[in-house]
Amino acid sequence: MFFQSHARTAVLLFVLIGLVLYAATGSYFAREIVVEIAILAILAISLDVAAGYGGMVSLCHGAIMGMSAYTYAILSVKFGLPTLPSAVGGIAAAAVFGTAVGWITGRTAGIFFIMATLAFGQMAYTLIFKSRWLGGDDGMGGLDRFDLSWLGINLGDSLSFAVYTVVCLGLVYLAAAWVLRSGFGRTLSGLHSNEDRLQALGVNTVIHRARALGFSGLLAGVAGILAAQHTLYISPELLFWTVSGEILIVVILGGLGTLVGPIVGAVLFVMLKHEVSEYTNHWHMVVGLVLIAAVLAGGRGIFGQIEYWAADRRRAGKEQSAEAGDA
Amino acid sequence: MLEVKNLSKAFGGIRVTRDVSFKVEPGERRVILGPNGAGKTTLFNLLVGALKPSGGDILLDNESIVGLSVSQRARRGLSRSYQKNNLFEDLTVRENLALAAASAQGKFAWMSRDSFRDKSVLETVEEVAEHVALADHLDMQVRSASYGSRRQLEVGLALATKPRVLLMDEPTSGVGPSMIDGFHRLLQGLPKELTVLIIEHDMDLAFDVADRITVLNFGEVVFEGTSGETRGNPIVREIYLGEGLEDA
Amino acid sequence: MDAGFWILQFLNATQFSMLLFLLSIGLTVIFGLLHFVNLAHGALYMLGAYIGISAAAWTGSFWAALVLAPIAVTLIGAVLYFTLIDRLRSAGPMNQVLVTFGLIFVFIDLVRIGWGDVALGLNAPQVLSGATDLGIVSYPTYRLFLIGLGAMVMAILWIVLSKTQIGAMIRASVENEAMAKALGINVGELFFAVFCVGCALAGLAGVAAAPVLSATTGMGISILIPTLIVVVIGGLGSLEGAIVGSFIVGFIETFSAAILPGLAAILTYVLLAAVLVLRPRGLLPARA
Repeated sequence: MFFQSHARTAVLLFVLIGLVLYAATGSYFAREIVVEIAILAILAISLDVAAGYGGMVSLCHGAIMGMSAYTYAILSVKFGLPTLPSAVGGIAAAAVFGTAVGWITGRTAGIFFIMATLAFGQMAYTLIFKSRWLGGDDGMGGLDRFDLSWLGINLGDSLSFAVYTVVCLGLVYLAAAWVLRSGFGRTLSGLHSNEDRLQALGVNTVIHRARALGFSGLLAGVAGILAAQHTLYISPELLFWTVSGEILIVVILGGLGTLVGPIVGAVLFVMLKHEVSEYTNHWHMVVGLVLIAAVLAGGRGIFGQIEYWAADRRRAGKEQSAEAGDA
Repeated sequence: MLEVKNLSKAFGGIRVTRDVSFKVEPGERRVILGPNGAGKTTLFNLLVGALKPSGGDILLDNESIVGLSVSQRARRGLSRSYQKNNLFEDLTVRENLALAAASAQGKFAWMSRDSFRDKSVLETVEEVAEHVALADHLDMQVRSASYGSRRQLEVGLALATKPRVLLMDEPTSGVGPSMIDGFHRLLQGLPKELTVLIIEHDMDLAFDVADRITVLNFGEVVFEGTSGETRGNPIVREIYLGEGLEDA
Repeated sequence: MDAGFWILQFLNATQFSMLLFLLSIGLTVIFGLLHFVNLAHGALYMLGAYIGISAAAWTGSFWAALVLAPIAVTLIGAVLYFTLIDRLRSAGPMNQVLVTFGLIFVFIDLVRIGWGDVALGLNAPQVLSGATDLGIVSYPTYRLFLIGLGAMVMAILWIVLSKTQIGAMIRASVENEAMAKALGINVGELFFAVFCVGCALAGLAGVAAAPVLSATTGMGISILIPTLIVVVIGGLGSLEGAIVGSFIVGFIETFSAAILPGLAAILTYVLLAAVLVLRPRGLLPARA
């Protein structure tokens, strides 16, 4: 069940402000890192809504993001639409893809669900990879960022773009928190806890799961637009299943089902990647080992573990005061 | 209110439910009684929609519900409790009840408002908690609740949907004598207009709470009557005493 | 498109199906028996190929490599079993996916360190090189050998699973673990044995595929998806499911690539979607 504690708000604000400051005072390279973190964090929040709260461990979130990026590219480059409606179209495509996957896999659970999402993600990847019209494995270029000159903002500037992605991250967090606190989000937690019982209470769980993955897809779609606008070039690699696996790693490292944890995970993941890459080109082995260690350590993730300790101390404190009262 | 007509179910070649028919009136307390292996659980699963019958019909208010799914039947006011606890383990008692109430009130898909802060959901939670004697334990984690509390919550979840027909699968299975008393009080405290159908293998309990009893043996209805009629009936005595003698 | 074309496609499809079978049978029985999801199964296949290539270079014999590679992969599997897999059996599918996903990364980088990033080939032995004249068409002898190898493994597994006591124990444990324990089956040892056989078959598939596909660091990841699809379509834990699934996927992929190249990429996925909607537990699941 989702709750927005003061600790979560504090960590969220700390990270968001920290990212903006890092971008503002750092070099071009620092701003690139901030953009990378923001996009990954949005994806991780999106996956946390599905996996952490809804229990749907998806391995197609990379593909969902890619669908958004490609739809954005198709609408703006191939059909010459302005950037804003193209972005709306891209996000809508991601939501539709998420809903469709959720509906088709609606009766599958556990490992079947994981493998089914893996397969559908790969289907999207293969389709785009083989499509000549979409450039195949060469990808597509010629993209544009939003024109915000009417606000006096030039997104072509690296600092403005970095701040813009951090603002998007904040908005995505708000949207996710808002929906998780709604009746829909409450039901989603029930679905995670006991799907059969929820059905017996009169909820059509297939539709609920489809809508949940649709919402999660919508958030991932925002990341897709940002990814396309960031590099102004997209390739099928965005959709490959190992990208989805990396998003899951970020969620796990930060703390599944905490919503703030995934943001912390994204910061650590990107920072670690750049640090490790300085010393070795076997970054993936380091990720693999960190991941295995994180799961064996209990799988709560960094933020999740801290919340767990804090709750433990509160409980111990309560018991102590209760004992004192008894005496 | 609830009518079952010639209901049959076969698994492979084995007919587990054979031509079962009965009719439950509004507000009635009906017990389906039968020894272990009489096909009670199969009948129950047919009623709630977890199994599809091989033949026959189930009517709720004279409308067939045989083609409806579990969740659709629940929305028509057919609510069930489970023999084994089947709760939302990760949540608190309050959250469990609120989920059930919100589901039944159609507030489970609200995107902008919190169903758990909705006035009528909160009222239902309080009211049901009162009924199942959990009002003082609303913030307890289900995972750490006692077996007795969990049985109470099990019934509470079904009640929180404000059902018209409550189906209970062996509600006192696995609880001690003191809990059985509590369960009697619980049943007596239920709204009079609520129709209750209980699947049970314990005769004494059935005689105590039932308006009418339907006796099931080998998948067939072998007797139907009031508590008093059932108590004195030779067929019923034979089924139970025969079973008892074999055991001894 | 004459008869020769169809026969060639048929043989290609059969050969691909056999490769899928060697991989999916291990994966599916490990799933069914241990409830364990091993995404690193494809990585074991990759290790089989690389170790096989080194073993062939070292001993000078393809046949020695064909024996040594599965043994080496089994040893690696045994180490994994005792360090990670046994521990994660009750940890839920997500943790299993994560850890074995991490293992993929580790194994790929280990291969890059040990063998470098270039694709490596393996020569088929003299007696299997060249082509065999089958009357209407002539077909590479080594690929015929692969078909025979797959068929032989299939036959052995079928006999073991359906005719022997250990097979009966495995089937009983897949269907109902608690019951198997009550019958006095040492489930732990059985699991370990089955896991080792699954690893050996993955290693065998790797070294056997090397002369045809050559070894690359991406081979494990790229074979994993079709293998998982075979398992989902066929149904968890059953030999029949793995056989049927392998042939369905192998034939659809091969024939659609030859006849309907536009549709080839997604036809398997469409089939998968259909199976998931209509029969969410697969076509021939071991547990009814």
